[in-house]
Amino acid sequence: MTSFQSTLGEESGIAEELAENQQSISIAEFFEKNKHMLGFDSGARGLVTAVKEAVDNALDAAEESGILPDIYVEIQEEGDYYRLIVEDNGPGLTKDSLPKVFGKLLYGSRFHVREQNRGQQGIGISAAVLYSQLTSGKPAKITSRTQGSSEAQYFELIVDTDTNEPEISVEETTSWDRPHGTRIELEMEANMRARQQLHDYIKHTAVVNPHARLELREPQEHFKFERATDQLPEETEEIRPHPHGVELGTVLKMLEATDSHSVSGFLQEEFTRVGTKTANSVIDAFRDRHYGREMRWRPPASHESIDIEAAATDATANKGADATDAFAKTIADAVADHDRIAHHELREIVADAADAVETEHGTTFGETVQENALEAVWLALLDGAAVDDGAAIDIDPESRLVTDLYELADEATSTRKDDAVVRAFAERLAGTFADAAAEDVRQRLTRGTLEERVDRAAELTEEYDDVAFGDTARENVVEAIWDVMGTVPDEPPLVRELSDDRDAASDLVDGMRATDIMAPPTRCLSPISADLVEAGLEKEFDADFYASATRDAEVHGGDPFVVEAGIAHGGELDAEGSADVLRFANRVPLVYQRGACATTDVVKSIGWRNYGLDQPGGSGLPKGPTVIMVHVASTNVPFTSESKDAVANVPEIEDEIELAIREAARELKSYLNKRRSMQQRRKKQNVLGTILPEMAQKVAEVTGRDEPDIGDALARIMNNVLVERRVEQNGDGQAVSVTVENNAETNESLEITDIVSAEPTALPDDATVVEMDGEWFLKWEPEVGSDDEATLEYVVPDDASFELDVKGVETEKLTIQQ
Amino acid sequence: MSADNDQARDQLIDLAAQFYDQFELGEIPHMSVPTRTKANIEYDEDSNVWVYGDRESTRSANSVRGARKLLKAVYTIEFLAEQLEEDRSSTLRELYYLSESWDNDEAQFNDQDESNSMIEDLEIVSGVTREDFHMRPEESGATIMGPLHLREQTRRGEREIHCQEDVGEGGYQIPNNPDTIEFLDTDADFILAVETGGMRDRLVENGFDDEYNALVVHLKGQPARATRRITKRLHDELELPVTVFTDGDPWSYRIYGSVAYGSIKSAHLSEYLATPEAQYIGIQPADIVEYDLPTDPLSDSDINALESELEDPRFQTDYWEEQIELQLEIEKKSEQQSLASHGLDFVTDTYLPERLDAMGVL
Repeated sequence: MTSFQSTLGEESGIAEELAENQQSISIAEFFEKNKHMLGFDSGARGLVTAVKEAVDNALDAAEESGILPDIYVEIQEEGDYYRLIVEDNGPGLTKDSLPKVFGKLLYGSRFHVREQNRGQQGIGISAAVLYSQLTSGKPAKITSRTQGSSEAQYFELIVDTDTNEPEISVEETTSWDRPHGTRIELEMEANMRARQQLHDYIKHTAVVNPHARLELREPQEHFKFERATDQLPEETEEIRPHPHGVELGTVLKMLEATDSHSVSGFLQEEFTRVGTKTANSVIDAFRDRHYGREMRWRPPASHESIDIEAAATDATANKGADATDAFAKTIADAVADHDRIAHHELREIVADAADAVETEHGTTFGETVQENALEAVWLALLDGAAVDDGAAIDIDPESRLVTDLYELADEATSTRKDDAVVRAFAERLAGTFADAAAEDVRQRLTRGTLEERVDRAAELTEEYDDVAFGDTARENVVEAIWDVMGTVPDEPPLVRELSDDRDAASDLVDGMRATDIMAPPTRCLSPISADLVEAGLEKEFDADFYASATRDAEVHGGDPFVVEAGIAHGGELDAEGSADVLRFANRVPLVYQRGACATTDVVKSIGWRNYGLDQPGGSGLPKGPTVIMVHVASTNVPFTSESKDAVANVPEIEDEIELAIREAARELKSYLNKRRSMQQRRKKQNVLGTILPEMAQKVAEVTGRDEPDIGDALARIMNNVLVERRVEQNGDGQAVSVTVENNAETNESLEITDIVSAEPTALPDDATVVEMDGEWFLKWEPEVGSDDEATLEYVVPDDASFELDVKGVETEKLTIQQ
Repeated sequence: MSADNDQARDQLIDLAAQFYDQFELGEIPHMSVPTRTKANIEYDEDSNVWVYGDRESTRSANSVRGARKLLKAVYTIEFLAEQLEEDRSSTLRELYYLSESWDNDEAQFNDQDESNSMIEDLEIVSGVTREDFHMRPEESGATIMGPLHLREQTRRGEREIHCQEDVGEGGYQIPNNPDTIEFLDTDADFILAVETGGMRDRLVENGFDDEYNALVVHLKGQPARATRRITKRLHDELELPVTVFTDGDPWSYRIYGSVAYGSIKSAHLSEYLATPEAQYIGIQPADIVEYDLPTDPLSDSDINALESELEDPRFQTDYWEEQIELQLEIEKKSEQQSLASHGLDFVTDTYLPERLDAMGVL
């Protein structure tokens, strides 16, 4: 891997530009000009950005050392200024690295790495330092303590705005209560108008970093977010780019920079998921595009008058009759063995025949002899004849080319096409092959040329025969012919040739895209995982329902990415207004530019009514108590700007965002449907629950009998699961039976606990009993099919009392008759 | 309480007991009644009337709607049983208003159609007629004029009435339950059932009942059950031929249909109400042409009604198919009174004698 990789991708262009700017103007001037891009365009925003950059850095620092992050953020009012303090429990920094990390713009260990990380450009925290210095004139105050050291180091750091060089102005040892970590104190011109965004940022960070403990203390409020898991995100590894995701410009740069000489070596060295086999597939695809394929014709069948042997014999002079005959016969036999044959295959046959005959007869068949034989046999196959400067092929309806192409076209077009029309078309197409033979007798052509030829022949057919020869028919014919054509054996150009040949490089890129290649490895990514997405949401949002989905890794621009989505609904979430969309990139909450973000666009484009949410007008953000969360993890998240506020509209990423959201939304839908049907059931139950007893009472009045028992009827009406106890006196004890009657349409698994005040006996095998404080807990877990029954029977002494507890069935669906 | 009342009451209470048993057996309470639509009536070869077929609708407590219906049924049963016990009667409309006084909101009827239909359900399921429940329609007001002597059992004692001599020009008013009447004597030769009041008055004024010994029964549009019942009894007991005289339009053919074949809504009582031997006098579509009567064009709804009658099993006879198709062809209809275009006496002097003669009644 060359260091060149660092300048790949769209953002690198801007980064290079930034770096160049630094040379011509002072850093302060540069910052002033670019602060909007860096997220420091207002005092309110600047504070949030500074918090964000400092926290991102702190999280990364701790995670990289395998420490569960514990981060403390404090904002203090300081006269006209605000003081920001961020403390982490990371490994701490050494004196050497510290000024670079905090002081020099564009320094960062991550900038050159294809690996998922929060900060990607190395601009963030140093920009915050600079912002603080420029607005307050105060140095950044940094305390750091490395693991195991007994004392902490205290530094004051300022950036020389002329040279962009950090300088440590104060350095002393101090004591600090954290055993290791870093504390940074920045004073800056700011205000708290963006308080809400600040809270959101911290809260959302807690959602996507369930392994982190966060604390925020600002002048008015104080929040603590505890961990939901002790599991650190998996460590990520650096990977090479994936062939499906690189663009031509990138490939050209890579070609220039690589140490490989061959294309195969280049592919295997510089890309992930490419071995010899895949490299060969890519090179074949490149050959098809760059050189074209050669048409493979059928060798003559036995009834045909073409005599390959004679043609070869005639073309060979002065080699002795036996050797010539053997040479010609070997060629003819080899040709006959082929189902179809291309020029380069014939060349090989001729060469092999020459070798074989030379071994046997001692006669050398030199290059010229071979060429002559090749040409003669090839033209014989084509029904053509040699002329002065190439070959001429006359096409008549009986010629071999026509017959061959007719068979292919006939097979490829619909049976409704008139035979004569297909034949006329084949004749015209054969004509184009014959014409081309004058220039290249090898019949070598690219797919594009083949398409042109088929088009021309089809158009002529339409014109003269007055029939339709549509696009589908043309495509099918092209496909059929292209299929029988053979990839040429030409050596691909060397890497250094390719790097100068834009067209050839473009063919290589096309070939890379067309080849099936395994998806990139995901060890460079660290998705949160569906479970922890849910845990994070549960931790910070008090909802009734949570769902999440993690997609498989995909590629964009050579960078793998994973999209995750989570949905929380109901409960204490705000029912008024639109759903909240929480956007994350590499575990960093995006709080600004919501409208410019691909995530928001995708959420708005989904038809939420399908998923049971309210969506006025059928588009836009859904209404109601819903939180939708999307996390894009990638080695290179494409942002719309350097301030990293919004994910750019990259189609591959948008597709995955949509699929992830839909996956989670499907769960939401089935939850909402179920809830709705439970509501209806409850409503029906409420109404019937009043009507039926009244009816029963009335029926009893009219008939003059006691009120009938309606529990069973009610259970049946509600398609309910009925659990019913019957007790019978049985001499000196009671025989108890508990019957489960499933009137529902689905199978039900119940967990029934019968709490009995005396010891039950004569239990069946599938029931267990445990005694606790004079009560017997009888557990029975039957599975009862739709419209089926199960019964538990046992015996207890006379004076026993019972209590049934049933789980596994929704209360709405359950009727218990004790 | 009479024996009849006892029986009706027992049958109602049996119905309630059925619901009771269903509850006890853990079944979903339900009752099944024949579907009361055109598609579910069929010709009964034995009695020559149209009765319900096999299709049934189930009122089941499985749904909220069905449960409400059954609750109302039980309340209605209670009310009817009490009414029978006290030997009182009420009208269908009274039942509807009375339900408002029931202690249970869910049991109250939403409109009179619902209570009427409930009574029909109960009639069918219990096998007791509405009259035996002591339920009456609001008004009947239909009358008879003609040489008939009868005895009526009224709440105020027996009355012997001659339907020409003891009544005014309005005629004898048919009571709600004609089964309380005993026919004593008659000089009548046939029954002439007339649709409209105007024509009935014309016939009486012209003395048609007297001259031809006709019992003129005023149908007052679609005839009430009592009118159909008395017509049936007059036919069966006094062996009088029945003729029906209505306007010449599709709605009037249905009036004839319910006299002769029974109505769709009361097909369970067809045997009791319908007179299959009743003959149709007119106005026939053929008469419109023959007598050159003043006409109105058929409206769209008339045409729909005629087409629907072509599919009605009751009208699938050669005679009716021919008449209805002729009418669809001439696209005209005429009222009974249009005969007046040939003079006020034309109907009694010419039209009816000619038609009755042609039908073999005179």
